[in-house]
Amino acid sequence: MSELPPYGLVILIAWGTLTALDLVSVPQGLLSRPLVAGSVAGWLAGDLEAGIRVGVLFECFALDVLPIGAVRYPDYGPATVVATALAAGAPWEFGLGPSVALGLVLAILGGWSLQYVRRWNARAIQQRAAALAAGEGSAIRLLQYGGLVRDGVRGAALTSVGLAVAAMIALHVPLDRRTAVGLSLIAIGGAISAAVSGALRSAGQGARLRWLIGGVGVGLLVAILA
Amino acid sequence: MTGGWRALLRLYAVQGTWNYERMLGVGMGYAAEPLLEDLKTVDPVRHSEAVVRSTEFFNCNPNLAGLALGATARAEYEAVPGAQIARLRTALCSPLGALGDELFWTGAVPALIGLALAAVVLGAGWWAIGGLLVIYNLFRLGTGIWALRTGYDAGMKVGSAIAASWVPRAVGRIGLVAGFTIGLAIPMVAVWFLRGFGWAGGLGAAALGAVGVAVTRWFGPWLTSVRFTLIAMLLLLVFRWMGL
Repeated sequence: MSELPPYGLVILIAWGTLTALDLVSVPQGLLSRPLVAGSVAGWLAGDLEAGIRVGVLFECFALDVLPIGAVRYPDYGPATVVATALAAGAPWEFGLGPSVALGLVLAILGGWSLQYVRRWNARAIQQRAAALAAGEGSAIRLLQYGGLVRDGVRGAALTSVGLAVAAMIALHVPLDRRTAVGLSLIAIGGAISAAVSGALRSAGQGARLRWLIGGVGVGLLVAILA
Repeated sequence: MTGGWRALLRLYAVQGTWNYERMLGVGMGYAAEPLLEDLKTVDPVRHSEAVVRSTEFFNCNPNLAGLALGATARAEYEAVPGAQIARLRTALCSPLGALGDELFWTGAVPALIGLALAAVVLGAGWWAIGGLLVIYNLFRLGTGIWALRTGYDAGMKVGSAIAASWVPRAVGRIGLVAGFTIGLAIPMVAVWFLRGFGWAGGLGAAALGAVGVAVTRWFGPWLTSVRFTLIAMLLLLVFRWMGL
């Protein structure tokens, strides 16, 4: 983990908060996608290569998620930011595994925290039910801004706690070379499995499956030739 | 349409108060406020009723919520009976959810992500990431403007307007593109990562990936890919601790 000045940490927390807000609340402009979250976090942490590697890997995990209806899913934005901060400064073959392990745990915690915010929103609405039934615009605005603030606090807390844990891991959990490489290989294998599972589920049995297979063929060819 | 741009901007935060009771309800009410402003001077009682209706339960894909918002706002100005407007809102939930999810979550988003992943692997770096953000957000902004205008112009006939629009046709095509680009990206990403580990490491990770696909199918939804990966990592740490 690269050493960051205090303002660097604040900027990383701000970026993690923004990615958390982007997932559901505002603006849903793909800032929370791991590829984006990781690359920007890598740039902020001074190691763009680590950010892109971590971002691409978490993006594979995120391809297994369909945010449809009221489905529950991990929050990969702040998780990718924290994982990138942990991976920064180390050769990616060694840094990838431990950072992905921490990031995946954070992503699960992020998903749970999202459920908590949703229940909190419901309680706030119940408390202002009379004002809503009277059609008070100020009550609607208060609820809306309150929801955004709750989600922002969730994102900031998740990123801050994650960065604190990352710093502790970097200081107190030494890993030998073989273990670090083993964790990285498992992270890559798990990410491939997630991407394939998500792609197969979305493809179903029809024409999309044929296009998926065609894409795999072209991708293999490009990967071999590149 | 007075307040259209403000309503459009507010639609970006339509899920700001997402909850399991009203879902997008309060967010829709927040976005409806600028559109209903003129009604306050024309018919204050109707305005109050309209605001109450706008915050009731509603759920759909947030990117197509403008269709419902525009249609119901127009209906309020045309003094359509409240019960009929409530029925329209309810009737729009499922189609706007299904079309929006297919257009965005299983269509445009994976299509662009697949392309961006492939481009990053080929060394495009920031260009790929910037392109992803610009193209997606322009598409989303265009769809948002179209949705709000179409909903407002069509009013209670919004169902026919959606059926005759570009959306149902685009949904069929964009899914195929998404399948192709994701298929393109997966082997490229796998080779990009595994090249640095030699044959043994590469084969091991690929085998783990294959096992992951199989067991998450058999034991899903409990055993997700994330849990599978974390369990495998924990096992490795235990084996290493035991000196294996």
